[in-house]
Amino acid sequence: MARNGLRADSQNLRGTSENLSERESSSIGSDSEINGFTTEKQTDKYGFIGGAQQHTEESAQDVPPEVVRQREVKWLDMLNSWDKWMAKRHKKLCSENHYKHKTLNASENHQVQQIRAQDVPPEVVREREVKWLDMLNSWDKWMAKRHKKIKLRCQKGIPPSLRGRAWLYLSGGKVKLEQNHGKFQELDSKPGDPKWLDVIEKDLHRQFPFHEMFVSRGGHGQQDLYRVLKAYTLYRPEEGYCQAQAPIAAVLLMHMPAEEAFWGLVQICEKYLPGYYSAGLEAIQLDGEILFALLRRISTVAYKHLKKHKIDPVLYMTEWFMCAFSRTLPWASVLRVWDMFFCEGVKIIFRVGLVLLKNMLGSSDKLKVCQGLYETMELLRTVEPRYMQEGFLMREIIELQVSERDIEKEHLVQLKRWKETHGELRCKSPPRMHGARAIMIADPPTHKDLLQAPTIIVEPPLEDASSKQKKKGKNKREPPSNPTTETLSPAHPPSPTLQKDTPLQQSNQSLSSSSTEQDTYL
Amino acid sequence: MDFSWNYRFGIIILGDSFVGKSSLLQRYTEGMFDKSRQSPLGIDFKVKHLEFEPGILIKLLLWDTAGQERFKSISRSYMRNSVGCLLVFDLTKRQTFERLRDWYNEVIDYVKPSKMVFILIGHKCDLEEEQEVSKEEAERLAKELGITHYVEASAKDNLNVDSAFESLTMEIYELFHAGRIPIREGWYGLSVGVPVDLYNPDEPKTEKSGCC
Repeated sequence: MARNGLRADSQNLRGTSENLSERESSSIGSDSEINGFTTEKQTDKYGFIGGAQQHTEESAQDVPPEVVRQREVKWLDMLNSWDKWMAKRHKKLCSENHYKHKTLNASENHQVQQIRAQDVPPEVVREREVKWLDMLNSWDKWMAKRHKKIKLRCQKGIPPSLRGRAWLYLSGGKVKLEQNHGKFQELDSKPGDPKWLDVIEKDLHRQFPFHEMFVSRGGHGQQDLYRVLKAYTLYRPEEGYCQAQAPIAAVLLMHMPAEEAFWGLVQICEKYLPGYYSAGLEAIQLDGEILFALLRRISTVAYKHLKKHKIDPVLYMTEWFMCAFSRTLPWASVLRVWDMFFCEGVKIIFRVGLVLLKNMLGSSDKLKVCQGLYETMELLRTVEPRYMQEGFLMREIIELQVSERDIEKEHLVQLKRWKETHGELRCKSPPRMHGARAIMIADPPTHKDLLQAPTIIVEPPLEDASSKQKKKGKNKREPPSNPTTETLSPAHPPSPTLQKDTPLQQSNQSLSSSSTEQDTYL
Repeated sequence: MDFSWNYRFGIIILGDSFVGKSSLLQRYTEGMFDKSRQSPLGIDFKVKHLEFEPGILIKLLLWDTAGQERFKSISRSYMRNSVGCLLVFDLTKRQTFERLRDWYNEVIDYVKPSKMVFILIGHKCDLEEEQEVSKEEAERLAKELGITHYVEASAKDNLNVDSAFESLTMEIYELFHAGRIPIREGWYGLSVGVPVDLYNPDEPKTEKSGCC
């Protein structure tokens, strides 16, 4: 909230002076300018060091000057005939007030801030955490009977402290992990094919280099990224490594330990986006055609423009789709998109693409200045921040009427066309699963698969000072065979290990813990 | 709208992963070097204007490609809309040099019957001690493939980057004026001062049937 307040102030001063606390995030224009800042190591709440991705979000608050001028004229007009406007066109006034205007008065500014609030108030976060813990602890029941509620809660945004665990449950990665115990460790201990390792190694330092986890060469983030990507090439040797998998794995690693991130990656590559990373990249090209076909109904103007200039969809959508927008959107939006993507599947990715195309190319005014392939590409490469801003984008995605059925229908049409022009698909991918529910139905878990193994184990203070067990037990996994991990009840006296988060023993207290490290792995 | 150019050349940059294609391009178009830059996925492009002779403005459209084998199916379709190609290898990685012949043949096959003007670039010449390919050897290969220029460059130290791009542009310009680059209907690698309908790649349908 305080951040919002500061931001509001500096908004009004923008152009004359800049609030110091904003300097870092607003003055950085491009990745390479960051060098001077890295020593300070001030990260935003997502772990980015004055990062480029956050920059876009901050500047999303800026309404372009032309628009501000227009609105000023409108408002002057309204204020000059205030009684009439209030009596007859009150609705209009409200809409100007609610969604758009930012500069004329302070109370209005406050309202805008509330609507655009990126920071959910802490009480609400706490409430949501309780709800999510409840869901996660009876996940099979919730998925079977109250799936709609889960979907709605994903749309509202998963609380950050539980995001990693929720993604793993939604994707079915949790079930995979439980059903393949020891698999990751086995892969992890193997040497790997040098052909892939060489490429992976060179890619490590290029993934989110402004995130604190990945900033240092050979640091724990880069090491884990290496392990996860290497394990995948051993898990699917026929697939190997695709460079677009690295950003996906990196985003997962920001939210969960390596083993879980590995299974999350497996689910994305095999259930959500099958074939995207396979040799030949047919699946992504096919989805490009599907996206383009869907655009026709969503925005005829944009569709016609792209058609007229013969702009092949792979030109603008390859990175969008292959990275699930993680390299495109401001970070707050990336996380919200992924929350929904894990729940509802690839249609969310299509919707984001359609929303961006619709807004960027959807009016003939905008197209006047981009008469050609290169001009259009330039425009699509630098999407206006306001269209990617969390609140705006989420509203648009949720409202856009594009269903799984639409995508599947178009898939058949485009597949037929593809076969006519290219011949049979060379890479036979498994069928795409549209979201958490479809995955769960296809791969039903046992209740045991969904039990949360403790990831944080606190050693009780030992009176015997000579004991060597002084190290903290963080991240130490209890062997699954140990019965105490599953049956600990609050009344039970502390046995050799005390878990902070077993299915029966989570509490609000552990949730409100200020340690982000612990929160992340809850 | 940009009405000002006299010629527009499409230029594609090819070579194995990590030879430094994007770095060369970034150095040339933005004047900087960033070793942690993200690798392009699919295809990317940059624009640069060159005033060649006084009053002659050339617009370069530079296609950057992902080097990984599996991205070829995407970058391939853009070979056809280029008149020039920077073929890049890493001086410190012998296998990237040995792959050049394959790259070359693939391009020639793919763009037939259009003309493609190549320049060979031995990249990372700043790493003098680690070089695995000699200048003589690279020049020999260039000669054998009929490539006029071989340049050793470094995006990191800004050595020969501008001159590499300029040599290629100059060669295209001269070949065109000697009548050696015919402009055919439906080919957009080289355009002469038609300022309106910018760069229309050729029919995607016919193009795709040939790829993959």
